[in-house]
Amino acid sequence: MSFVCISDFCKRFATHTVFENISCEIKQGEFITLLGPSGCGKSTLLRCIAGLTTVDHGTLTVNGEDITNQIARLRGIAMVFQSYALFPNMSVYDNVAFGLKMQKIPKAQREPRVREILEMVELESYHNRYPQQLSGGQCQRVALARSLVVRPRILLLDEPLSALDARIRKNLRDQIRRIQQELKLTTIFVTHDQEEALTLSDRILLMNDGQIVQTGTAEEIYTEPASAFVAGFIGNYNLLDRQQARQVLGLDISHQLAIRPESIYVRESGRDYGGKDLIPASGIVTGHNLLGNVIRYHLDITGVPVIVDLLNRSSERLFTRGSELDLLFNRDEIREVS
Amino acid sequence: MAGFKPVNPPKQMERQPNKVLWNLVFGLILFVVGLGLYKSSQSIDYSWRWERLPEYILYKSDNVVRAQFDGTVSITADNTVILTDDFDANNIQQVTEFQSSLVYDGDLVFEGDPLTSTVAWKAGPLLDGLVMTLKLSMVALVFALLLGSLTGLARVSPNPALKNLAIVYIELVRGTPLLVQIFIIYFFIGTVLNLDRFTAGATALAVFTGAYIAEIIRAGIESINKGQMEAARSLGMDYNASMRYIILPQAFKRVLPPLAGQFINLIKDSSLVSVIAITDLTKAGREVISVTFSPFEVWFTVALMYLVLTGLLSFLVTRLEKKYALHG
Repeated sequence: MSFVCISDFCKRFATHTVFENISCEIKQGEFITLLGPSGCGKSTLLRCIAGLTTVDHGTLTVNGEDITNQIARLRGIAMVFQSYALFPNMSVYDNVAFGLKMQKIPKAQREPRVREILEMVELESYHNRYPQQLSGGQCQRVALARSLVVRPRILLLDEPLSALDARIRKNLRDQIRRIQQELKLTTIFVTHDQEEALTLSDRILLMNDGQIVQTGTAEEIYTEPASAFVAGFIGNYNLLDRQQARQVLGLDISHQLAIRPESIYVRESGRDYGGKDLIPASGIVTGHNLLGNVIRYHLDITGVPVIVDLLNRSSERLFTRGSELDLLFNRDEIREVS
Repeated sequence: MAGFKPVNPPKQMERQPNKVLWNLVFGLILFVVGLGLYKSSQSIDYSWRWERLPEYILYKSDNVVRAQFDGTVSITADNTVILTDDFDANNIQQVTEFQSSLVYDGDLVFEGDPLTSTVAWKAGPLLDGLVMTLKLSMVALVFALLLGSLTGLARVSPNPALKNLAIVYIELVRGTPLLVQIFIIYFFIGTVLNLDRFTAGATALAVFTGAYIAEIIRAGIESINKGQMEAARSLGMDYNASMRYIILPQAFKRVLPPLAGQFINLIKDSSLVSVIAITDLTKAGREVISVTFSPFEVWFTVALMYLVLTGLLSFLVTRLEKKYALHG
């Protein structure tokens, strides 16, 4: 049996259904990401797991023990919030030590545990500071330490990186993953950022509109989207409807096609495409965006807009607006989605 | 902040006002207002007699010890005046502590003659009134704070009994005038429970102020981010512990300024207890007027004395605020 088992979770606020029929199983030590657009119910689901909100229906078991109606305090589940929610009237040390104090752990045992955790988040020299004297990233690390020090069975992270700037976000992301693996801690991470989800998770639960729409590893979700929503949310897929598919690729399909922009080749003379099943097409460049290591071209193929990502090797290769490109679509990379 | 465009071009640094000039303007306005007051007081038919007031605040009392019988005075080396009855040597009167002796060694005095005098400062009725107001306010303040804090906590409690009790109390008290409450507490509850004036007055003030403090405390608690309570709960604290260790310490800091305002109101509201014949500062003022026939001077003085009390309280609370301002 799985370590965490959520079955048939339902939550309604008055007439509005937040989520319905949510079931999933999580293995011990697994890093799970709940990914979805804002308002899809992922944060509420997390709060239900933490015991901060009740569920209307369904059961939650951890390690075989039913804790659906257990109060938050006794669940052994710690949560990190987007807003940090540090206690402003306490120093970093006191913030971290607080959970242990509440567990009536004697001071002599408390201190080494607090020091150890502060070291883990690299804040040992900041123990005397107050939250308002710290940067956002440092605050979130204190919040993380505060949650970890009580040695929870499960760690919940509610968009912990969303309020931070890009560089710090990446650092902290790696730090969270490292600590999680060190402690082999079962973790549920909520985010709306697909990059975070793809880089961090053992498994992603993709949610939309109160439903889990796809579950799988990062690779599975990225390369095999189950629906047009997943394709649209997880990457920058080109989505072609029936008519467009026939126009561009001459394919007869029943729903929609999803084509990743980096799977489309620009034909280069003399290159061997290794016997791949390729469909040729030609398009006219209507514009481009420089994304750093990738250049994203906007093309017009017989009136259908398509984006193509090419690695940014050198500026000589930049195709200007109006140039005509010979494209090759790899048939194996074209997914039909509903 | 993608898509943000400044509507106005960036402003030049704000020009600082000329401080000396505007302080002068401030002084001038005060002067003109003062002058206006002075001129208008001249224009009415009223003779100002400020000189009669100080004795109602503080006065020198001459405590004269008089002879209880006819006899002869002797003054000893350690400065004790001893009066010995001429006909009965066992009958003596001794005066030990005095400032100045009005008799000399060997003087023959008759019953009722002054022997010694001691001049001391004594509080006049206005100062007595001030002390009464202070006592009344402090007692009421302590109980109002207690009552208000408990009611405030009950008001935000998830328990419906506590919450509704708090609402009924707050609405009843806020919806009726303090003067009426004082009468009810003194004449009805006071009669039932046999309360003296002071207790009744202090109770009325505490009950009245407690309701307002309860609302201040509630607002303070509700102003603390909900995340704080959630964070506390997810760290293994129950409701009471989260309240006590996390919410209340933060809320306390935020409610200090409105609490100070409420305390100042309490001191001013205490003037109403004079209706149940407690001689507080206001009633003392009325009594002094009936003796001196100088209402203007007395009311100005009374106002000033209230200002001293409230100003002192303001000062103390500001100090407290500064002390707690450092974190959070």
